[in-house]
Amino acid sequence: MSQGDAFSATEHAKPVIASSQALHLEQTLCSICQIDDAEPVAVGEDFEYRTSADSFLAVRCRRCGLVYLDPRPSTSDFETIYPPTYHANNFDAKHFGWVYRVRRELEKRRLRAWLTSVAEDAAIVDVGCGDGFHLDVLRAAGFQNVRGIDASERAVARARDAGLDVTHALAENDPFEPQSIDVALIIQTIEHVVAPRDFLASVQRMLRPGGLAFIVTDNTSSADRTFFAGRHWGGYHFPRHLTLFNHRTLAALSERAGFRVRSLRTMASPVNWTYSVRNLLVDYGAPAAIYEAFSLRSVPALAAFTLLDSAMVSIGRGALLHAVLERL
Amino acid sequence: MTAPIAILGGGLAGLTAARVLRTAGVPFTLFEATATLGGLASSHRDAGGFSDDVGVHFVTNRLAAAIGASAQCYRVPRYGESVWLGDRSVAYPFGLIGTPRYAASAARTIAARAIRRAPIRSAADWFSARYGNAIAREIALPLIEAWSGLPAERLALSVGEQMPGSIVRSLALKAAGSVLDRAIASGYCGSLPESPHVFHVYPYDGVATFCHRLAEGLEDAVRYETPVQQIHVENDRVVGIRAGDCEIEASAVISTAPIEILASLVRGTNALERYRRFRHRPMVFVNLRLQGRNLLPDVVVWTPLPGSPIFRLTEGPLAMPTLAPEGKTTITVDIGAQIGDEYWTMSDEALAEVALEHVAPLVPDARARFLGVRTVRTPIAYPVLDIEYEADRLALEGGLPVDGLYTVGRNGEFRNILMEDVYWRTRRRMQAVIARYRDSQVLEGNVPPQPIDAAVL
Repeated sequence: MSQGDAFSATEHAKPVIASSQALHLEQTLCSICQIDDAEPVAVGEDFEYRTSADSFLAVRCRRCGLVYLDPRPSTSDFETIYPPTYHANNFDAKHFGWVYRVRRELEKRRLRAWLTSVAEDAAIVDVGCGDGFHLDVLRAAGFQNVRGIDASERAVARARDAGLDVTHALAENDPFEPQSIDVALIIQTIEHVVAPRDFLASVQRMLRPGGLAFIVTDNTSSADRTFFAGRHWGGYHFPRHLTLFNHRTLAALSERAGFRVRSLRTMASPVNWTYSVRNLLVDYGAPAAIYEAFSLRSVPALAAFTLLDSAMVSIGRGALLHAVLERL
Repeated sequence: MTAPIAILGGGLAGLTAARVLRTAGVPFTLFEATATLGGLASSHRDAGGFSDDVGVHFVTNRLAAAIGASAQCYRVPRYGESVWLGDRSVAYPFGLIGTPRYAASAARTIAARAIRRAPIRSAADWFSARYGNAIAREIALPLIEAWSGLPAERLALSVGEQMPGSIVRSLALKAAGSVLDRAIASGYCGSLPESPHVFHVYPYDGVATFCHRLAEGLEDAVRYETPVQQIHVENDRVVGIRAGDCEIEASAVISTAPIEILASLVRGTNALERYRRFRHRPMVFVNLRLQGRNLLPDVVVWTPLPGSPIFRLTEGPLAMPTLAPEGKTTITVDIGAQIGDEYWTMSDEALAEVALEHVAPLVPDARARFLGVRTVRTPIAYPVLDIEYEADRLALEGGLPVDGLYTVGRNGEFRNILMEDVYWRTRRRMQAVIARYRDSQVLEGNVPPQPIDAAVL
């Protein structure tokens, strides 16, 4: 369908977003129940990168409560929806300065705390490693046998430039020998993957029995989502977060993939708070000078929301879920 | 092997059903009586750059996103409704409440009801109890009578279902809309909560865009110009259909036909007899092409006139500028009709005359602005909610008493629902169809039974 060739849109008819291309959206199923009986919970746009003219719908499965994007971009759209400027490709000191250094320090402490019982020569894989931020942190924390895989060629190239052992691969293609890995990190990755159940099953295959998987992902039962659930919640990250979890759905999926849940908690993050406010401001036409105060570079916003979300963690409503899974 | 499911009708409901079945991997054939898809959700564009749907349609960003057609839509700049009181128009609903005579009548009614609760049996009672006798008698009842073709005493009180709910919520949404500069949808989807995030958008190429998008990839399963002539039922179970003069096996039938038509197609059971007396209200839509724009005080203007079948004027291009070339507009005049009556059989020129006369009090120079007319007649515009068959209508909610026979869509469900409700309700109803198909596959040994832990809850 051509867009209004004979109908030139008059001054009143402004496209939702001018001039961008439409994506190839596909209908999908709940990845836990394998059915499509869901109700809409949010309609939004790509407020962050404006990679397409589409609006997107987040739905919640009536049976299990899983939140997912439906319809969603096809894999052929991934080049479009992950633009070269995508933050996971460029999170470094040059672009993010002080924020990068503070986050690096915090993540180093976090990983050390998680991996206290893990030997320094354990085989660790960061699944969906992006530009290798966590691999670099692991190396600095004293772990020597660390590798990564990522679906983005661009991110892999950057990680390799930093001297990291990173492969351009999907976990679903079994890039490692079965049962050859001790620890898998799945940090803000599972919400991006096309088939989370197959994905987790493939991580299960690469791990040795008793091996551990650490998952970090956005929490749909978080306090920040409560305020922005209908449209602006940063966790939707339209249209890149295809599947979103809460305690119950993450546990259900993990158990189906052959894991035992050792622990499942929430952890503090200022990112979704910051992006929720930013998305709202962008959507309602606020000047850039105002919404730029809410970004991954804005120290005051990140600091304030870190404090706020830390309080939310104490009541079990932090922005991120953190699961520790043991391979059966 | 299980025979494919037959879907009757390629409008919004039929295509929504088809899309859900395709995603679930359930085989089906969609039978469309005409040469094109769309049904009541079709669009027509003429050489002069004017565009019409079947009546003026308003849709939301949520429906567009669900169908995956939002990139083909623009934001609607404004939406609003007014009521014409004979000499002036007032905004609906707050302007009415602000009119002292109506406010006093409403207050008296509320006070009287606090003392003595009269039973509410009909739409006439419902509107009087809710808005006061003055608003009911002078505004609401003439409108619903023209819309339905029945006296308000004979209409079921569920006519009130379609009215927007809480006044406070409507006010809040209206205020949010003006602050946020979007036409927030109110009263356009009863299945889901209203929200400032759900607002009107419109496809550049008309509402037909939605059906075209839904039909993408389903072409192999559509049979055009193949009206379904009979539905065969044996032992209260669907076994097949007759379509395009051929007998075709079918494991189930999903009908979007008006329920009274569906009842007349079924053979082998009397279970649907009671639906044969259901009726739809035919409508004549007169699209007046006029020079200029912003001719009406609001996008929709209700014109209550006791005894007149003309009840609504819509200047679509105020909300959807692409419906008319720049500097021109369309006012759609809705006339409730009966098949064969004077309006149904009137020539386009005569209908234009009637419409211009009706519009004249609001647009005094309408005749001087007149550029042309396009009329659309539909025999199945709205279900008539006659009190006489209301109990049977309500029972429809629980499905039909024939195994494998489903009825969806506005005419099939016989409810006053708009496009987004049709979409969500049809999707929900397909869950039972899919479950029934999966059970049949398990019985035939094609798939293993679902493990007990399939549901997380």
